[in-house]
Amino acid sequence: MNRLAKLAGLGLAAVLLQALAQAIFPAWLRPDLVLVFALAVGMRGGTGGLLLAFGSGFVVDALSGSPPGLFALLRGTACAVTRAADHALYLRAALPWALYVLGYCVFDAVALGLCHRFFLDGGSPPWTLILTRLPGTALFTALVAGFLLPVFLRVDAEAGREQGLALAGRGSQAGS
Amino acid sequence: MSELLSRFRYPLTWLFLALACVGAMTSQGRPGRLGPGSRAVLELTLPLQQMVTLPVEKLQALWARYVHLVGVVEENEQLRSQVARLTEENTQYREAVVSARRFDELDDLRRRLDLKMVPANVAAQDLSAWFRSIVIDQGERAGIRPGMPVMAEGGGVVGVVAGVTGEASKVLLVIDSQSRVDAYVQRSRARGSVAGGGDRACEFDYVLRDADVDVGDLLLTSGLGAVYPKGLVLGRISGIERRPYGLFQRASVEPAVNFRQLEEVFVILDQRELPPPEAFQTDDDGLWIESAP
Repeated sequence: MNRLAKLAGLGLAAVLLQALAQAIFPAWLRPDLVLVFALAVGMRGGTGGLLLAFGSGFVVDALSGSPPGLFALLRGTACAVTRAADHALYLRAALPWALYVLGYCVFDAVALGLCHRFFLDGGSPPWTLILTRLPGTALFTALVAGFLLPVFLRVDAEAGREQGLALAGRGSQAGS
Repeated sequence: MSELLSRFRYPLTWLFLALACVGAMTSQGRPGRLGPGSRAVLELTLPLQQMVTLPVEKLQALWARYVHLVGVVEENEQLRSQVARLTEENTQYREAVVSARRFDELDDLRRRLDLKMVPANVAAQDLSAWFRSIVIDQGERAGIRPGMPVMAEGGGVVGVVAGVTGEASKVLLVIDSQSRVDAYVQRSRARGSVAGGGDRACEFDYVLRDADVDVGDLLLTSGLGAVYPKGLVLGRISGIERRPYGLFQRASVEPAVNFRQLEEVFVILDQRELPPPEAFQTDDDGLWIESAP
């Protein structure tokens, strides 16, 4: 099975689990699994991962009330930032990864507000909503990300092994 | 050249896609037909989403209805007294309506009841934590078009159809931070604008400082604007913020609809026409003015 297809399957699972989380958890405690997915594919480094991240954001755009392109831009950017950060930071263990995700959640919320402010017609950015929900969602997302990292690395490694290229242990040499 | 392109393939890809996203965001105007990509995503993932969330929702309903009944007796008593109070209030309102000869309102109500509606079930909730929308299981085939208003069983405003596919529609809820509805207080006819708070409440703002607004007042849609007909219930005033300065006062609004327990909605098949963009122009001060026909 194609490596990217396996990762795309993982992305679809993230979307479905996020839909499930919407039904289970209160609004201030919902993990953003699609963000975790976008950050994780950023560690792969290649343009395939970037396309998957943009695609996952596009799916969220289609399934939410957000203006078209907003989450695609945010998730694609998350992927690109992680690729850059992966060269400078060690992200392939649960704790540093969770801390990175926690920090990125804050950045992502600020970016969401700024996109709202600069690119969208009418309406001020929902800063109050962001401030009230951010602590819970960011912490929970980071916690979930810590647990999901081995799953992602394993899926990616298994898929990569078929093509002789595994992410785990590859360090930050991710090429295309 | 190709080496250069190959070397910068990643940042160039990001830049290209980011610009496309920004273009899509900035070109977003009034609600419209979803693009083919969004339609495909919605139609393909909706059954999967329903499959995943349905068992949880059923379990939650089972728990809430048959197991978790703490406080039901007390709530029942409260509701009974509330029903008695509301019945009395309703009688007074009817009397007031008759005595004030507000035949136009009654006529409005009659016409409203004649509106053609399509019932639909809520199929999915918004996937993001920052926006408030729902997906319903009726779409273009049922006659639903973007821009049509959506209401709940009791006549409360739910939102507006933001996009449609053949079998489903995306509804932007009135509590979403992008939502704004022109409204008036039923008791005093004070006018203002209801903006979504992004959470469970809304805000009633641009209400003149000296306007008569009180906690508990019922807010109705004014019929101005391009979406909602006049007289739909938006909610009740739950708090008022009067600052010692400024032209306006602001109030918080408890929506008439409980969006967490929303299962069935009605789409009003009445698409009101907005004037085309060419009908508006700006004056020298950059203010929008309506141009002569």
